[in-house]
Amino acid sequence: MSDEIEIRLSGSGGQGLQLSAKILSRAFTDEGKNVAQSQSYEPTSRGGMSRSDLVIGSDIPDYPLASAVDYMLILDQIAIKGAAEVMRPGGTVITDVKLTPEPPRGDFKVLALPITETAIKLGNVRIANVIALGVLAGLGELCSRESLESAVGSMTPPKFRDLNMKALRTGYDMAAARL
Amino acid sequence: MSQTKIKCDATGEDLAFNPMEYLREGLFPHFLCPGCGHGIALRAMVWAVHELGIDKNKLAIVCGIGCSGRLGAYVDANTFHTTHGRPLAYATGLKLARPDLHVIVITGDGDCLAIGGNHLIHASRRNLDITCLMLNNEVYGMTGGQVSPTTSADRYTTTTPLGNTEAVFDACKLAEAAGASFVGRELTIQTPSLKNMIRDAIKHKGFSFVEIMSDCTEVFGRKNDLGNSAEMILTQKSTMRPDSYGGNIVDEPFRPNFLPTGVLAQTDRAEYGETYRAAHRAKGSAK
Amino acid sequence: MSNQTSTNKRENLQGNHACALAAVAAGCRFYAGYPITPSSEIAERMSLELPKVDGVFVQMEDEIASMGAILGASMGGAKVMTATSGPGFSLKQENIGYGVMTEVPCVVVNVMRGGPSTGMPTRPAQGDIMQARWGTHGDHPIIVLTPASVNEIYQQTIRAFNLAERLSTPVVVLYDETIGHLVETVDVAGAQEIELHERKWAAGEADDYLPYQPDDDMVPPMTRPGDGYRTHTTGLTHGEDGFPTQDPDTANRVLSRLYGKLEHNKDIVECFEAMDTEDADILIVAYGITSHAARSAVHDARDKGIKVGLFRPITMWPFPEQALLAAASKARHIVVAEMNAGQLVLEIERLAGRDRVQGLNRYDGEHITPADILSTIEGIA
Repeated sequence: MSDEIEIRLSGSGGQGLQLSAKILSRAFTDEGKNVAQSQSYEPTSRGGMSRSDLVIGSDIPDYPLASAVDYMLILDQIAIKGAAEVMRPGGTVITDVKLTPEPPRGDFKVLALPITETAIKLGNVRIANVIALGVLAGLGELCSRESLESAVGSMTPPKFRDLNMKALRTGYDMAAARL
Repeated sequence: MSQTKIKCDATGEDLAFNPMEYLREGLFPHFLCPGCGHGIALRAMVWAVHELGIDKNKLAIVCGIGCSGRLGAYVDANTFHTTHGRPLAYATGLKLARPDLHVIVITGDGDCLAIGGNHLIHASRRNLDITCLMLNNEVYGMTGGQVSPTTSADRYTTTTPLGNTEAVFDACKLAEAAGASFVGRELTIQTPSLKNMIRDAIKHKGFSFVEIMSDCTEVFGRKNDLGNSAEMILTQKSTMRPDSYGGNIVDEPFRPNFLPTGVLAQTDRAEYGETYRAAHRAKGSAK
Repeated sequence: MSNQTSTNKRENLQGNHACALAAVAAGCRFYAGYPITPSSEIAERMSLELPKVDGVFVQMEDEIASMGAILGASMGGAKVMTATSGPGFSLKQENIGYGVMTEVPCVVVNVMRGGPSTGMPTRPAQGDIMQARWGTHGDHPIIVLTPASVNEIYQQTIRAFNLAERLSTPVVVLYDETIGHLVETVDVAGAQEIELHERKWAAGEADDYLPYQPDDDMVPPMTRPGDGYRTHTTGLTHGEDGFPTQDPDTANRVLSRLYGKLEHNKDIVECFEAMDTEDADILIVAYGITSHAARSAVHDARDKGIKVGLFRPITMWPFPEQALLAAASKARHIVVAEMNAGQLVLEIERLAGRDRVQGLNRYDGEHITPADILSTIEGIA
């Protein structure tokens, strides 16, 4: 029970958050952890609210859904509803500075970072999700960098592998700059 | 018309053919009303089965609900009396799971065109090797004589007390348009021709649809003053429902205003079960 | 005997995918379905897995046809499954009844979403508990299994096939959208160490064979086309010979045996979990995703010294009556937590008496949380 971590990745449909959640899950599973990943989505495939929650622990959790989130990523203002209420006091929220102009407020840290802007600079807005993973992992020391690199390597398309690895490194660098 | 060498009497009937060899004698007397055309259709079907030499153990008859749906029980084969309108859905599962079987569906105009219309369209499109015999008697007989999708204009039924004002379905055109690779229509009065039609339909590889013009004497004929059963069936020979099939009437020299019969459409489109299996083998996913 | 579809390692597997993999492992070789949220992943996975084992997947024209097609394939001898969600489950009901009446094995999965009508397609609910029991018309028995995790979906789907085959009946696997889309770390290789059963096939003389003559277990062996029996199958009330009848004695005997075969085989049908119930002053009854919230709340309440337990039906229908009464033997209060307006609570009231039973309900597409249940417990204690 005590080593459970809850992570929420949220934004809008099409930002690749479900894939990010799968990558992160794989990294944890490879380290021997048990993961429960749930999702919430709208009937439309693109543009609606999208979120994926991870509950990670050494044991199978009693309750597989997020109820006190330690780390939350918000890549779009659309996902803001209910965010503050589900945060664990003292937790960390990472937002995209441009797409989340009004971040949640409460008893938790908020880091507003230029995630999508950086993705565009690296050449593809669609790697924002992987940059965000790097930021999250770098800030939280959630799983080993090797596990995450291996998961990104195996779960992203080969032709975008180098770009995604670069995105992950950039995310780690952004986190290091803020620590 | 048959190419098969068989001993025949003047009517073309195989003298060695005894329909009772293909029927469950223990269920007789049957439930059909006197004069009903469905018995003739059933006889033609087992005659076709006899001619083709089909093993009764490999024959599956799948029926829906209604007078036509009750016919299956009389056939000494593997018989399935399913739910209203759904025999083609059941037959699709059966044929896909058991490609070794001959699957014949017996259905009616209400079963096949109203409640089960969607399944006819998609069975035609899918083109599985199933033979669908639709017995068209223009009426819901078993429920007491209500209007059906093939009831002719102005006919009286228990739900058209002032005469039918709805248009009829041309089931053959529907099946053909949806992709059935064998489409035919035949009359119960032409029993040898009907037998040949059913035989060719069973032999055809793909979805075959045969509309069989049958007569409901008791609840349709009487209500519309169409005469006794002999007179009703003779009517098939002359002008059968001419007004109802407006666009499809062909003016044959000796049969003016007659509904077209015979094979109306036939293509050699690939049979779906084989297509499915071949496609998955070809892509290497099969063991 | 089955083709192993997964490698020997821990995987992060979605509930709906676990259902499909379990079906194939259980010997399912025919699937017919129609797309519907939130169950479509089952069809998608089956379309990928079945060709690998020479099985057949077909996407039918509608939900009714899907149900008809699996019954047709099962009557041909295959192990079969279909999956759907609320609106589709409604459409399948007539043919589920046909399967019950004709005693054709099949597995029907219903991934519950918010209702009624089209309701909330992507939100979870537990509103089909009574429909699963009484969805088709007429008196009839039915087996309904309610798994609560990805791993349990895998196990219970295999069990559904075993029960369908052993008892010649449709079996419903019923779970909420949350469990269906939940991804959990499972040991797939370990989960496959499960015994498989196949229906009894008719044997003996084909002449005058009675296809509905039951064995001692009250289940008749099945015939299939090609084996020489040439039997008749009908949804009409039928005698042991398979042919329709309206004889009152036969009608009574047929229905009594349909009920009786489940009762007679109760030991293999019933399945439940009772946690901390021995001394429970308060008993929580919950299933599916709600049972996780209940488990968490029970642990928290026990930490606070409140004597509370959890009863979780895994076989929902026929409901494990004696097990519930045993679990509730010391309970002054029974709380039935479910994501509907109060369905299973009716059965619990019937069994345990209305005075000590109360519902904890939510039907807005959101979950009942551990905190919701804990505060209810604290309010009572």
